[in-house]
Order: sequence, then C-alpha cells, then structure tokens
Amino acid sequence: MISTQDITKKFGDNTVLKNITATIGQGEVVAVIGPSGSGKSTFLRCLNLLEQPSSGKVWFQDQEITNSKINKMEIRKNIGMVFQHFHLFPHMTVLENVTYAPIKVKKLKREQANEVGKELLAKVGLTDKEASYPNRLSGGQKQRVAIARALAMDPDVMLFDEPTSALDPEMVKEVLDVMKDLTQTGMTMVVVTHEMNFAREVADRIMFLDDGKLMEEGEPESFFMKPKTERAKDFLDKVL
Amino acid sequence: MNLDFSQIVPYVPFILEGIWATLKFVSVSIVFGLILGIVLALCKITKKPFIKWLADAYTSIFRGTPLILQLWIIYFAVPQLTGYDIEIFLSAVLAFGLNSAAYVSEIIRAGILAVDKGQTEAAEALGVPYKPMMINIILPQALKNILPALMNEFITLTKESALVATIGYMDIMRRAQIVGADIYRNFEPLLLAGVIYWVMIFILTRLGSAVERRMRQSD
Repeated sequence: MISTQDITKKFGDNTVLKNITATIGQGEVVAVIGPSGSGKSTFLRCLNLLEQPSSGKVWFQDQEITNSKINKMEIRKNIGMVFQHFHLFPHMTVLENVTYAPIKVKKLKREQANEVGKELLAKVGLTDKEASYPNRLSGGQKQRVAIARALAMDPDVMLFDEPTSALDPEMVKEVLDVMKDLTQTGMTMVVVTHEMNFAREVADRIMFLDDGKLMEEGEPESFFMKPKTERAKDFLDKVL
Repeated sequence: MNLDFSQIVPYVPFILEGIWATLKFVSVSIVFGLILGIVLALCKITKKPFIKWLADAYTSIFRGTPLILQLWIIYFAVPQLTGYDIEIFLSAVLAFGLNSAAYVSEIIRAGILAVDKGQTEAAEALGVPYKPMMINIILPQALKNILPALMNEFITLTKESALVATIGYMDIMRRAQIVGADIYRNFEPLLLAGVIYWVMIFILTRLGSAVERRMRQSD
C-alpha cells in the first residue's frame, strides 16, 4: 500500500530521518514508536508529503509519489490524516468540518455529504454535536470529529500523528476506542503513538525509530517481550 | 460670537447631496482596495521572490508618498503623459483604492500569518487545493482576527476622502467649501460637514461591530 525507499529528511544541518525503508501492507495496522525527537512524526508526514523527503522515494499504490510530476492533492485525497492538535476548522460546525472536503474536493452533493457525515459522526458517537462549533467540544470529542473528517474522504489509509498526546488522560480511551473500531473495518493504519498498551494490543507490527533510524520492527509480542536492540530495550524499560 | 445658521438653511440640501457622492466613491474605493489588498497579501506570502518583491515595492511606494500627491498625479499629471482625459470619479477611486490596498495588504498579510499553520496542513492533508483552502479556510479566520484593524483603515479612508475636494469632486467637503464662498461664512457649512462626517463614521463603526459579533459566533 505505502512503502518508503531510503528516505532521508534534513532540516538545515539537522538530519531528522536517516535512510528509512519500510513497507505498510493493505489492511495492516502499524504502530510507530520511539523516544521524542526520533523522527516518528516526520516519517509519518513524509507518507502524505506534508514533508518532502530530502532524498529517497515514497510509493503509494504502485505510484512513486515523490516524483515531482505527481499531483500531491490527488494523492492526499486517499490518505487520511489525524493530527495531535486536531486542527479542526474553528469557524465551521462539526458537520461542516466533516463535509467540507467531500463537497469541495470530491464534488459530492451537499445532501449526500451530509448523509455520509452524519453516519460518520454517529460512528464516533457525536450525533448530538453536529451543529456545535469545535471550541464547544472537549479534546476527546474534537479528536473524534477529526477522525470522522478524515474518514469522510473515504481514504485507503489513515495516518495518526500522536492522536492522544494532547488529550486529558480521561479522554484517551474514547479516542483509542474509535481507532480500535476502525481497525475492525480492515482500514490500513499507521499510528505514531506513545500508548504502548494500544500499540501492543491493536497493531499488527511495531516500528521502532530512534535518532532518525528505523532500529527495529516486528510483531508486537516479540518486540515488547524480546526486543532485539539495546536501544529498544532501553526505551521499553523507561516507558513500561 | 458671530454664528448665524439661518443663512445656510437653503444650502443644506446642496451639502447633503455630497453624502451620496462621498459614499459612492468611498465604497467603491474600499471594495477595490480590499480586493487588491488581498491579492497583494497573497503575493507577499508566496515563496516566489520576484512576485514578493513586486508586492513589497508596491506597498513601499504607496505608503511612502502622500495620498494627495498620488491623487494629483493621477488626475492632473497622467493626462499630460497619456493624453487621456481621466474622469474625476475614476481618478478618485484609483488613488484611494490603490493607496488603501497598500495598507490593507499589510493588515491581511499579518492576519494570514497569524492563522495556525495546522489549518493549512489539515486542509492539505484532505487534498483541498490552494484556492478553496484560502477562500474557505484561511481568509475567513484571518479576516475575523483583523476586522478591527480593517475597520480602522476604512474609517481613515472615509475621512481622508475629503481630499478629493482638491480635484473638484463634488463631495461633502467641496460643497461645504462652495457654500462658504457663496455666503462669505465658513464656520457654519464646515461645522455641518464635520457633523455629517462624524455621523457617517459612527454608523460605519456600528456596522463594523455588528459584523464582528456575527463572525464571533463560533467562539
């Protein structure tokens, strides 16, 4: 579904990603973990080209999207993204947030988009909030709207950039539950997260990044029980 | 004290007619300045150095010279150069619109830059192209934040509009001047003109507050 080939990302003299080669398969749920500053978010943002890799290639459904001739907007329609700080559109109601892109980008009729939007809001448990503005919502509710907004484009893959890191502890579960439900639908997901229990329970595969390098990857059980690298062992000792 | 308002009574309708003349050219100038200002602001935030330079140079020239000079150049000097006899109304709108755009572009640029970068990213991640993103997502949020500053600019423009009296445009100011010359009394017509300007600005301010309240609906 998505693969990267040797991608490196530099910000000035600072090399944030170092030669990462990875593949995410159809229907796979991959958790990307690692210490802060390890390049997890940058890696994720390279997958939908919110960051342009300094070198290397990114492939999405057999297309090389790092090719300069590719229309990024066309690609991004099919890649949903959820941000740490939600980034809902504050001047639109919850339903408008969800239906905006389908109407503008996919040229859906408003009634049709509303129907899809309401369905998705029901799925994330926010039917009663459709007419509210985002700043009336709690953090957990905002993030669920953000998930519904991304899903409204009917993407082939969903990217999550630390979706629960900005939430109060009591709101983490409601968001993780929505994400869990999503895995049941067979959605391909890449999740940058600090929620180790979630990664362990839900992910098919763990990618461990440290200092911009992909240090280790594997199934959750083996990764959490018997990490191969010293760095991963160290990290797990600290967070578990 | 030598005030006598009875003499200007017959002239009041004549001066009041100036309200329409002023309103007409001020509103066209504001709209023209606003649209050009938005375009200039977008030029200023692009990554293309030449376009950016052009927009900056434009602002520098129109902010760096007196408005009355720009007005006179357009009305008196350009015809000499081109042979085209420009109309008073058109030159007034051009001078005020072009000048206002320079100020408005700076206000809007600041407004756009103040919108959270995450908004752009969220729109991009949804595949929203640049134009609808700007029109539907970034500019509405920017405009909401800069509305007080924009109102200030519109108020300034309305008051400065009195400068067009110097090229003979029959606005409130010019009419007050004519009446003054007619009856050899200046205080009364100028006072009346002052009251009219004040009332116009007062209404404009109220309108601005109403728009602001409406835009704060989502807070």
